Amino acid sequence: MTNDAINENNTARRRWLGVLARASRPELEQALSTLESLPPIEHVRPPEPGMVMLRGRVGGTGDAFNLGEATVTRCALRVGAGALGVGYTLGRDRRKAELIALFDALMQDDTRQAELEREVVGPLLDRQASQRDAASRSAAASKVEFFTFVRGEA
Amino acid sequence: MSPQPLSAGFADQVHEAQAAFRSALDALSRPGRTVAIGRPVAGLGLGPAMAHLLLALTDDDTPVWWQQGDRAVADWLRFHTSATLAATAPGAAFAVISDAASMPPLAAFAAGSAESPEDSATLLIELASLEDGPAVEWHGPGIRDKQTVRLAGLPEHFWTQWQANHASFPQGVDIVFTCAGAALGLPRTTRVRRLEGI
Repeated sequence: MTNDAINENNTARRRWLGVLARASRPELEQALSTLESLPPIEHVRPPEPGMVMLRGRVGGTGDAFNLGEATVTRCALRVGAGALGVGYTLGRDRRKAELIALFDALMQDDTRQAELEREVVGPLLDRQASQRDAASRSAAASKVEFFTFVRGEA
Repeated sequence: MSPQPLSAGFADQVHEAQAAFRSALDALSRPGRTVAIGRPVAGLGLGPAMAHLLLALTDDDTPVWWQQGDRAVADWLRFHTSATLAATAPGAAFAVISDAASMPPLAAFAAGSAESPEDSATLLIELASLEDGPAVEWHGPGIRDKQTVRLAGLPEHFWTQWQANHASFPQGVDIVFTCAGAALGLPRTTRVRRLEGI
């Protein structure tokens, strides 16, 4: 279900939700501890674990098939009278889903967004990018080129 | 964003859903007896009993028809249970009726088929009172001798329609009347006799 036409901020929101979902729970807890006191939090949907079906394709042209199910925890909450924040994360960590929803709710508040982007999402994104970079470098270092000699005429 | 903020659902999903389901079973197995359901949901335009019945009974397989197109309430239910909207009354598994006086006739709702009578609709009707309307006498399974029920605000031909509904057994709709935090069941097996002049 896409509501891009309704909310043009969806691209930005998708980005920060992705960054938050990939962050670890200690990172999010640490980021939360830097915030000043928050208005009361209302749980619209308390954190709940569930399953999503992962689909995949064999090759670029294969038919989609059900690869398997993954555990996902989701949460929706509101901070004070602000917008509804949602959090989805792989695994069964309820607190992490709650933290993601909390940051999502705060990020939709225009008065906080720039600061949170600078203090929380930006550093998380940098760290994730460098981790990914390091992983792909170590993978690239072990790359083996396979090639086949052209067979002789004989 | 929806103009009205989304209200919460069950605070304790498992136990509140079980309690609401149990109450719905009690209401339908002891027709005419009032059962207490639910706890008020802040900011929601539905009574506690209606809200908890909907949360407990609906899911993505049960299209819900709303008599009054209140967007915020329909969005709330879709958020919490993924229940789809039924465009028309006959396509609904559950119908939420908040103004009984102008409700469609009972024959307008799905009555199931002879092979699958369970495909019928369940009507959830919010009334102003379950206690001070005109008296009718109910008989049937789940009722010892007779049960006098006083539902207020039903349309003129409701009990005539109900007799036709009862006569089409095993097909026919089931009804749960709600009023704030109370619910009262009227399953298709119940026979109703009107009492004149009371």
